[in-house]
Amino acid sequence: MSRMFRSPWLEVNIMLIVLIISFTGMYLVGRGLETPPGGMSGTAIFAWLLGFFLLSFGIALVAVIGGIGGGVLFTPFMLAFTSVDSLIVRATGLIVAMFSGLVSTGPFMRGGLANLRICVFCAAAYGVGAFSGAQGAIFVAQNLGETGEGIVRLALGLILLSLAIYFILGGKKIEWPEVKKVDKFTKWLKMSQPYYEVSMKRVIDYPLTRAGWVIIAIVGVGLLSGFFGLGAGWAIVPAQNVIMAVPLKVAAANSGVLLGMGDCIGVWPYLLMGAIIPVFAAPWLVGQVLGGLLGALILIKVKAGFVRYLLIGFMFFACFGLLTKGLKLLGVMGEVPMWLNGLVFLTICVIVTVLIVRYIKAEARLGGE
Amino acid sequence: MSAEKRPTMQLSQRVYGEIVYWGTVVAAILCMIGPYISMKNPEKNVMNPFYLFAAIFEGKDTATIWEEVAGGFPGGHFYLDKFFYGDGFTQFALALGCSVAAWALIPTAFLYLKEKNPTYTVLCLWVALLITLSMIGIVKA
Repeated sequence: MSRMFRSPWLEVNIMLIVLIISFTGMYLVGRGLETPPGGMSGTAIFAWLLGFFLLSFGIALVAVIGGIGGGVLFTPFMLAFTSVDSLIVRATGLIVAMFSGLVSTGPFMRGGLANLRICVFCAAAYGVGAFSGAQGAIFVAQNLGETGEGIVRLALGLILLSLAIYFILGGKKIEWPEVKKVDKFTKWLKMSQPYYEVSMKRVIDYPLTRAGWVIIAIVGVGLLSGFFGLGAGWAIVPAQNVIMAVPLKVAAANSGVLLGMGDCIGVWPYLLMGAIIPVFAAPWLVGQVLGGLLGALILIKVKAGFVRYLLIGFMFFACFGLLTKGLKLLGVMGEVPMWLNGLVFLTICVIVTVLIVRYIKAEARLGGE
Repeated sequence: MSAEKRPTMQLSQRVYGEIVYWGTVVAAILCMIGPYISMKNPEKNVMNPFYLFAAIFEGKDTATIWEEVAGGFPGGHFYLDKFFYGDGFTQFALALGCSVAAWALIPTAFLYLKEKNPTYTVLCLWVALLITLSMIGIVKA
């Protein structure tokens, strides 16, 4: 039987067929719709839905190659460059982050790279944080009005700035952390689980430690994720790796599973108060699932380390947009002129291009040696 | 410790992974169909699709959007009453995807119990309970 009729290609193909039929149907139906006075035409609605899907699909593909979660790209971009209400953006951002995690759960669990025990243990804490964060976001939106919108954008801009710097510096991560002493609580939890490390062609078992401390860190991470609608893989991975001594690869796999599980708690306050608008959120969800699956199947082996620089450049530009928009909403400054936006964009483009050229040259040198 | 033979993953872990994975795929397929139903029968929507996107891009808050295009927010579980409506069906798909971890954690808890691992049975049930409480909306700010 052709591999195209076996999982995961089978479901990918089914999804692609349904997607094509659905969008073709929407286009044909949209063309024939009579537009009510002051309303949007059927073709325009179709175009928006297709645009959202394509953007989400692109974000998912780039996220797979760059190793950065989709939520980190979606939420800042939408908050910085559109006038969509921040609560809707953050709620949809949580859907984006969550579904990119959910779709990676199956393969990671099957292969044994992710450890369900660690994920369930952390999700018990992460969920509490994410739920509280979501409630906080709703409270801010309902009580602080435009000031709240400004503060949220400003805070997210600062987070994104530190995140971009963190990505440049690489952060403190250890591929194989060394455990000198396993505390009683961690030992009692029996969390470690051997897995087959493909690159080394052997089974690796790993001791863990400080499970109690990781709970505190994970509650904080959940709070951030729930409040800002960001995937928080960038924080979950180092928390597991540095505090609990989870090997880097296992921590990265766990973070997707944990985001999918934990955000199932954090997303409901948004759904129950109407911040997730079904027809608006659906194409973003579909793009993440299909893009995540296809990206993992086709692009994961593509060596494109330079994409990381593109993403970091994007983060700096989104950060500039968020900070200026936040300050404008707080009444500190006026509208940023187009030429300044263009100048910042151009400067970032030049820096990113230089970095990519240097990266490609360094890769070529290594390849030649 | 190291060896060369691949360890067999516990059934609990595999079952969790499969339920979440297939649940997510089903939710995504339903989310592809929902918007089509919305456009096919524009009058059979809770939110009027002709005015929805303009309201979103004008930066209106959620309460105003629901008020203007749906005459008020009917509650997060409105798909129970309006299942065959375009946005009702899409909301159902979203709700299914957003609760998939809970559906997977319940049999996983049972399997952990069979594997004589009560700690993780309790943890799985705790997380499933958190999702359920959040879903029902019992805990509110």
